[in-house]
Amino acid sequence: MPDFSPEDNKLALKVVFYGPALSGKTTNLMQLHSLLNPERKGELMVLETRDDRTLFFDMLPIGLRSGSGLDLRLKLYTVPGQVQHDSTRKAVLSRADGVVFVADSQVAQQDNNAIAFGNLEDNLDKVGLDIDTLPMVVQFNKRDLPSVVEEAELQSRWAGTPWAPLAMASALQGKGVIETFRALLDRLYTVINAEFDLAGKHDIDRATFIGRLSASHGVGDA
Amino acid sequence: MRNFEDDPTLSDLLTPDQIRRLDGALSGLCREPVAISENRTEDAVPVEFNLETVGWLSGGASAGERKAAAELVSFLMLFVAKYRLAANIHHDTTEASYAELQRQNEALKASEAKYRELSDQLQQKVDEQVAVIRQTQQELYESARLRSVGHLAAGVAHEINNPVGFISSNLRVARDYVKNLEPLLPETTENRELLEDFNDLLSESIEGTDRIADIVADLKTFSSIDQADNALCDLNSLLRSAIHLIQTEYNHSLSIAESLAELPRIPGHPSRLSQTLFNLLDNAAQAVGDNGRILVRTLTDNTGIQVIIQDNGCGIPDKVRSQVFDAFFTTRPVGSGTGLGLTVARDSVRAHGGQLTLDSQEGAGTRVVLSLPVQQGS
Ligand SMILES: Nc1nc2c(ncn2[C@@H]2O[C@H](COP(=O)(O)OP(=O)(O)O)[C@@H](O)[C@H]2O)c(=O)[nH]1
Ligand SMILES: [Mg+2]
Repeated sequence: MPDFSPEDNKLALKVVFYGPALSGKTTNLMQLHSLLNPERKGELMVLETRDDRTLFFDMLPIGLRSGSGLDLRLKLYTVPGQVQHDSTRKAVLSRADGVVFVADSQVAQQDNNAIAFGNLEDNLDKVGLDIDTLPMVVQFNKRDLPSVVEEAELQSRWAGTPWAPLAMASALQGKGVIETFRALLDRLYTVINAEFDLAGKHDIDRATFIGRLSASHGVGDA
Repeated sequence: MRNFEDDPTLSDLLTPDQIRRLDGALSGLCREPVAISENRTEDAVPVEFNLETVGWLSGGASAGERKAAAELVSFLMLFVAKYRLAANIHHDTTEASYAELQRQNEALKASEAKYRELSDQLQQKVDEQVAVIRQTQQELYESARLRSVGHLAAGVAHEINNPVGFISSNLRVARDYVKNLEPLLPETTENRELLEDFNDLLSESIEGTDRIADIVADLKTFSSIDQADNALCDLNSLLRSAIHLIQTEYNHSLSIAESLAELPRIPGHPSRLSQTLFNLLDNAAQAVGDNGRILVRTLTDNTGIQVIIQDNGCGIPDKVRSQVFDAFFTTRPVGSGTGLGLTVARDSVRAHGGQLTLDSQEGAGTRVVLSLPVQQGS
């Protein structure tokens, strides 16, 4: 849920990268950290174990300041995917304003995707969020690998859901990461604008919101 | 409570001691001393952490010095904050897990209690069923015994009936013949005495056969060989038969007073009712011993019939009374009865929709009231 403090004119939003273990959530965040060049960008905090598995979460804060002086913050979190860290996942997921579900495209990983998605549904329910109205993008990562489920098959399978079309990515190669993030910003804007009238009160329209939060180093990509 | 993710303030991250130490170390690197504070002062530069201004750094010889020192503090802050965040979320999740554990524990306790209750109920049901089975077994045994006694009685009655019938009618004819012979014999004292004697002999024998016929009739009533399982019963006649039989069993030594009102017939099982009445009379007979009295009364009102069997015998001790209906229980010495009399009696009465109540005082006697409805429910 958005955290607005009128005295500071500060609006803090939270986006959580969710998914099975090793699907590439941390890689997504690291790529965003290096590819994005938003107006304001903090340090990428990685809290991992010795063998590179996410222990608590990773966090990257970005932000922008509007013409009206609104201090808009977006904190991007990843959750630990391993089964035993469910209470941490729940804690990180609570009060989320948007979710990026990072699935692993490999054929052998489809069961894990399903289990993690079921776990997301459960935990959203437990922290009092509604999966049907929460802004969410589903990304199928690791498209660079050989044994992946065909995109056409995936798209048709998810066609009937609120999360179509799916985002395809190869986080390791930095492909599709920003596109996924922009799709999420797009859905997030609809909800946040409805509540805070970003366009009317703060002069932040949809294009500004997406463009300024996801400006990249790439040429002509802002 | 603050969330683990709330932006930390300077005092969340560093203790005053640590800030002082940091100030000292930084001042050693700078040409002029510097100080970190949560409050903004003139010439201070912000110490930023994660887009957040957590404090202000003032002092130093130049703006460049201040900026470098602030940058160093920001860099340190990243690691301090990382630890703080990890510690916070660990604390949060541990508390959440503990709460969850407690909730599960409560749920477990609740379900355990539920299962215990269920198992108690089950045990109770089993006990009830066992009681029903035991009771049914008892009834089966009793009714089998009753049936065999009934069959025997019926057989004997049938066999005796014919010879008694013709002996009785022959004796009457013989008495007539004796009367016919009287005028034909010479009128002597010897002859007259002989004839009188003969007449008396025949009369006594006729009386004897009449008594045999009565007993046979009682047996037939008692065993109800002539009646269907469910018939309209005349309780008075069942009662009279039972009294005759008990008298026979006790060699006519009992003092039994009858006071029987006219009763409507009620539907029922004659043989079971007979057995019940016999059992109650038998109890009374055993209680009074050789020189007590038994009073048998019947009453009726619109709704039901009452049979009251009262004796002035030994009575039933207080501590035993609550048990008298329990199967197998008997206050009499072992061997003098199965103790089933009252239980069977009560069960039969219940089967007829009636009630058996017991009123007893040790040493003073016992009063048993058997109430039966005139109109039975089923
Ligand atoms: N081939 C391939 N490997 C990837 C991709 N994204 C992540 N990985 C690898 O998958 C492993 C797990 O990634 P990580 O981001 O730590 O997964 P997380 O558990 O979801 O945070 C690492 O070895 C990554 O290098 C991808 O797009 N393609
Ligand atoms: Mg990770």
